[in-house]
Amino acid sequence: MNTPVTLYRDLFTELEKSLPGYDSLPLRGLRQEGMQHFMDKGFPSQRLENWKYTPVKAISQKIYHINNHACQGLDPSDLLPYLIAPLGVYRLVFVNGWFSQTLSDLHDLPDGVRVESMAKLVKDAPDMLEPYLKNKKSGSDQGFTHLNDALWSDGAYIHLSPGTRLERPLHLFFLTATSKKSMMTLPRNIVVAGADSHAWIVESFASLGHFPHMTNAHSTIILHDHAHVHHLLHLGENHSAQHVGTVESTQKGDSRLDSQLFSFGGERTRQEIHVQLAGEQAECSLDGLFIGNGRQHMDFHTSIHHTHANTRSQQLYKGILAGHAHGVFNGIITVPPHVHHTQSNQLSTNLLLSDTAEIDTKPQLEINSDAVQCSHGATVGSLDPEALFYLQSRGLDASTARNLLIQGFAEELLQRITPKLVQNWIEKHFNKGEYHHES
Amino acid sequence: MNILEIQNLQVSVMNKPILRGLELRLGAGEIHAIMGPNGSGKSTLANILVGRGDYQITAGTIRYQGEDLIVRSPEERAMAGVFLAFQNPVEIPGVSNARLLKEAFNAHRRYGHLPEMDAMTFRTHLQERAKHLGLSDDWLLRPINVGFSGGEKKRNELLQMLVLEPNLAILDEIDSGLDIDALTDVANGINALRNNLRSMLLITHYPRLLEQVHPDKVHVLIGGKIVMTGGMDLAGRLEEQGYGWLSEVAA
Repeated sequence: MNTPVTLYRDLFTELEKSLPGYDSLPLRGLRQEGMQHFMDKGFPSQRLENWKYTPVKAISQKIYHINNHACQGLDPSDLLPYLIAPLGVYRLVFVNGWFSQTLSDLHDLPDGVRVESMAKLVKDAPDMLEPYLKNKKSGSDQGFTHLNDALWSDGAYIHLSPGTRLERPLHLFFLTATSKKSMMTLPRNIVVAGADSHAWIVESFASLGHFPHMTNAHSTIILHDHAHVHHLLHLGENHSAQHVGTVESTQKGDSRLDSQLFSFGGERTRQEIHVQLAGEQAECSLDGLFIGNGRQHMDFHTSIHHTHANTRSQQLYKGILAGHAHGVFNGIITVPPHVHHTQSNQLSTNLLLSDTAEIDTKPQLEINSDAVQCSHGATVGSLDPEALFYLQSRGLDASTARNLLIQGFAEELLQRITPKLVQNWIEKHFNKGEYHHES
Repeated sequence: MNILEIQNLQVSVMNKPILRGLELRLGAGEIHAIMGPNGSGKSTLANILVGRGDYQITAGTIRYQGEDLIVRSPEERAMAGVFLAFQNPVEIPGVSNARLLKEAFNAHRRYGHLPEMDAMTFRTHLQERAKHLGLSDDWLLRPINVGFSGGEKKRNELLQMLVLEPNLAILDEIDSGLDIDALTDVANGINALRNNLRSMLLITHYPRLLEQVHPDKVHVLIGGKIVMTGGMDLAGRLEEQGYGWLSEVAA
């Protein structure tokens, strides 16, 4: 009998030769290894603690078709509704998983900054990519990642030489043009920020049309000493989309990662963000804002591993859930023995707008060292009736009052977005959020 | 015509009668004080006038500008010019004073079939009023009441009143917890808004504020009824003698 796993194996056999890197033995080996792990372990089981709340079956049961060539026929004007701004932003566009040169804009990239399509780069310099593509994790919870290891199509490779600064934000835009033939796209991105470099990177996902599709994305971000990367993830796919994504980041000494996640779309979404603070004085900030309505499922897993002394992390995840939406926040901070003077704060706050919305939140600490400072917490609440009445008593109608309170709940996270251009763009998406229609 | 006319108002909270046949008439441009011991129903009266839920009106009528007020929603009352300065205004994180005032002000303008004020003009409008109360410009950007001291909250209520320019303002213990200087600022704010059309109900425990505002009438509310009405001399007597001597009147 054909199971999804064997069908993906068949698909792999069929597509392997056409996937980027086939001509390089090591890269071909990595894909085959990924497939082998996937065959061995399959999709994660909900019996696993980390997958307990994720409806894996609903995500993985459907068989998706994988496109092995770039999509033609889109015009730059088709992109306008999705762009941060028509000007002042570097842009790499991927349609149905593949890089589109004509829709991208990399004019005036500063010297020392290399931004390219992964598919192109594996042809030119496969050896350069091998160390970044090697997945060190393998296990029964890694099924989706292994599938990406085997079948990734394209993505962005960003390399910032030491001391370079990307003054404009760089937008990596992944668009799926949906059709009746449901498609899976498997982007793979690599960001290497050299010492003292600085960049704003926005990774966003959207769908054209309303048909089901699936995204299985993986990004690796490496920050060398004193590097500073802002990584903003915007998940805005259609309401039949399945999205599984992983960000893996490793930080050297004195580096700083500002990760901001905004999840507004999709039918089922699961995003993981893993950070290793692997150098003294490294710090990271992980923010998240998710809005679910209808029957949306939104699932966020973060892990921060303080492997070095004097490292700092802060996390604030906020959920707004209406209708029958289900949210999950699962965050873990680990500090091994003999790692001292780390600071970590983790907070998950959630706003439930209906009696049927649900949140499972689990902030966790695994601290095996004494000399550390850490705090964690979670709150779940509904709109404050006193505050609603107060606003109404000033002349605001019930729905305006409600929206103002919801915006107030999110404000802190929206305010932290830089630069202004990107902040305005996210605010625009937030303000047309679907929570408006829920009573 | 009276701006506010309350007849035989009877109100219960969770089936417990709080107001028991309250009568009150407030003329245009008048300021009346309502004094009374704790639990006499002062705050219930304030909340009822702005349409708060959780109260059952079991009998009586409230007419505002000659029309039934009870049937109106809280926001309709606000737009028609009824304003309550809350005794303990709620903190609203993430929503700035300026944002609330802009939304509220424009809601009032739309209700009055006036065009919305553009952002720049409104900003000036707001800054002038904030200055009047000794509030800095960045005050306007702070989230509503978050981390405000007792006195700051009261000033913020007055700022909203200055911006929204109500016809009927109910000030529920606007003077509680204020030091002498803050009290004077509040009194000045009230006096600045005074004109021959705007009416106010001052709910208070102390005559200090009244000495600076000079209400037209002082009512004593005990056991859910107005038991006595007088002038400033009545407020002075209450300060000296408390409410004990009135219990016979109340009974």
